[in-house]
Amino acid sequence: MSRTVVIEPVTRIEGHARITLQLGDAGEVEDAKFHLTQFRGFEKFCEGRPYREMPALTARTCGICPVSHVLASNKACDHLLSVGIPPTGEKLRRIINLAQITQSHALSFFHLSSPDLLLGWDSDPVSRNIFGVMRQNPALAKDGIRLRQIGQTIIETLGGKKIHPTWVVPGGVSEPLTQEKRDAMLALLPEGLDIAKRTYAFFKTLVPKFKDEASHFGNQPTMFLSLVSPKGHLEHYDGLLRLKDAQGRILEDMVPPHEYERLIGEAVEDFSYMKFPYYKPHGYPKGIYRVGPLARLNNIDACGTPYADVALAEFHMLQESGPIASSFHYHYARLVEIIYALEMMERLLKDPTILDARVRARARSNRYEGIGVTEAPRGILMHHYRIDDEGLITWVNLIIATGHNNLAMNQSIRQVADAYVDGNNLQEGMLNRVEAVIRCFDPCLSCASHAFGEMPLAIELKDATGRVVDTLRRG
Amino acid sequence: MDRARMGSRKVLIIGYGSPIRGDDAIGPLVADRLQADGVPAGVAVISRHILTAELVADLVEHDRVVFLDAAVEGTPGEVRCRSLAPDASAMSTMAHFLDPRELLAWCETLYGKVPETFLVTACGSAFDYSNYVLTPTAEAAVQPMLEWVRRLIDPNGCASRLSKPTDEAATHGETGSPTMII
Repeated sequence: MSRTVVIEPVTRIEGHARITLQLGDAGEVEDAKFHLTQFRGFEKFCEGRPYREMPALTARTCGICPVSHVLASNKACDHLLSVGIPPTGEKLRRIINLAQITQSHALSFFHLSSPDLLLGWDSDPVSRNIFGVMRQNPALAKDGIRLRQIGQTIIETLGGKKIHPTWVVPGGVSEPLTQEKRDAMLALLPEGLDIAKRTYAFFKTLVPKFKDEASHFGNQPTMFLSLVSPKGHLEHYDGLLRLKDAQGRILEDMVPPHEYERLIGEAVEDFSYMKFPYYKPHGYPKGIYRVGPLARLNNIDACGTPYADVALAEFHMLQESGPIASSFHYHYARLVEIIYALEMMERLLKDPTILDARVRARARSNRYEGIGVTEAPRGILMHHYRIDDEGLITWVNLIIATGHNNLAMNQSIRQVADAYVDGNNLQEGMLNRVEAVIRCFDPCLSCASHAFGEMPLAIELKDATGRVVDTLRRG
Repeated sequence: MDRARMGSRKVLIIGYGSPIRGDDAIGPLVADRLQADGVPAGVAVISRHILTAELVADLVEHDRVVFLDAAVEGTPGEVRCRSLAPDASAMSTMAHFLDPRELLAWCETLYGKVPETFLVTACGSAFDYSNYVLTPTAEAAVQPMLEWVRRLIDPNGCASRLSKPTDEAATHGETGSPTMII
């Protein structure tokens, strides 16, 4: 008798999603799917708007990390203007992006994933939450709050205190940095780096406890896609595309982001509103790849900052050889990237040209097509616009970081379900692991809308006729 | 909180809501108007799209906190004020939006102290797209919200009657002045 297990909503992620597990007659997992249940339609309703509105419009895609969309959108607009950004303007954009990565990664690790990591996958779900973390390790919880505050303060210092800052503009940024602001930001960074280093040291002590999860949480051969600097270093703002295969062979290197369509195709499935990007030369669905912190660290030759490079060397020791395959190690990669971001922000803020007044190039649109690509916290973010003679948008394509990981997330929940879910004896801890593998990717499912009221989790097993044969409820 | 401390107390006003969802913008808009009008020393005003975890670090640094938000239940235009207590059960399943009572529970659990907290709401009538523009009904509620906030930041104001964290509420009646219904 075929049955379906539904996990809805998936908790401690950004946005609304559902997981279904299709069970066979013997209770074994036959299929697993990750469904994005929201439809937003940004690409369609941006049509007809002036291209200069796009940074503000697309920032609304995400309520938690609008900075990433603002940057990708402005880079697409830079391309439409056909201008080069003044070097100081580019450095300032880099800083706000790194601050965004710091606070976003901190949220993912401290708030969303630490309940599982500290309290255990099978612990009482009533206390397996941030309050459980606060009781078990209050210092860690305080560090998480402080690290987020540091990232958010830098974003506000640069972008202004308005909810959606308009400081980043086509051609650069609207205002140069003052010495007072520079000094205020610099004063925050040593404390942030101390927090990042001690959190990293603490997490290293936990990793050996999770050997089993590491071997089943999306531990699969896929390709990895990211930006890298021309030197092959870690790159979050600009750079060139690099694609490695599961054995670590470079399949594509130093590809200008404007040529992304040569590498990436997009498929759709009827069970999700999220697209399924794939590596074109391998076809769909064989062209599966991962993006984000794990991919970035797998793809680079070096981070380019002292402490992060030490941590990168330790990251590579998680596996005997080749790119780190387990999606569980996204957590590890995120902590390495926080260290990098704090080190790099300090380096950029101490740059003697950072107070330069030339921060913006001005021009009108000089081409009909613009592409902007950055690394958002969760992976590569692509904005692609076409405009008419009046500068009005005629076509938009957005490829969100979480979308790149769609194939891999679906494959990962299947692997976890195969390893842990017994359809004849459904346990909450089994299903929590299925959710937890999704949390490794830290998916952001276009989370600008509010959630009202309680959203209890209900998991039902139904037979082929729709009859409920078993139920688990949370909340 | 004793009166002597009230005289030098630190107050934080937090207006929150989406600026592009019609009357949901009333919290940030009232915060902006307070900021433009000027506030006494010791009073800080911030606007947020959503309430997020790092705000806890700000909350514990203040003696009194006033949240400004839109409400969906009630008579459109109705302004209500109530005190808030920590409530860990108000926990969101997602991380991108936290209930103010959950934030207070974070303060209590992690730092062992909770600011005296009030929530001032105005019931909206439309939450469709509009960029920082309220309906006339919500616009009419802005002034009563401002009056509530001014009373809450006045150490001698009657708001101290709401100092116990209960669900006691006050509403703004049709006479134009805030009226408590405790």
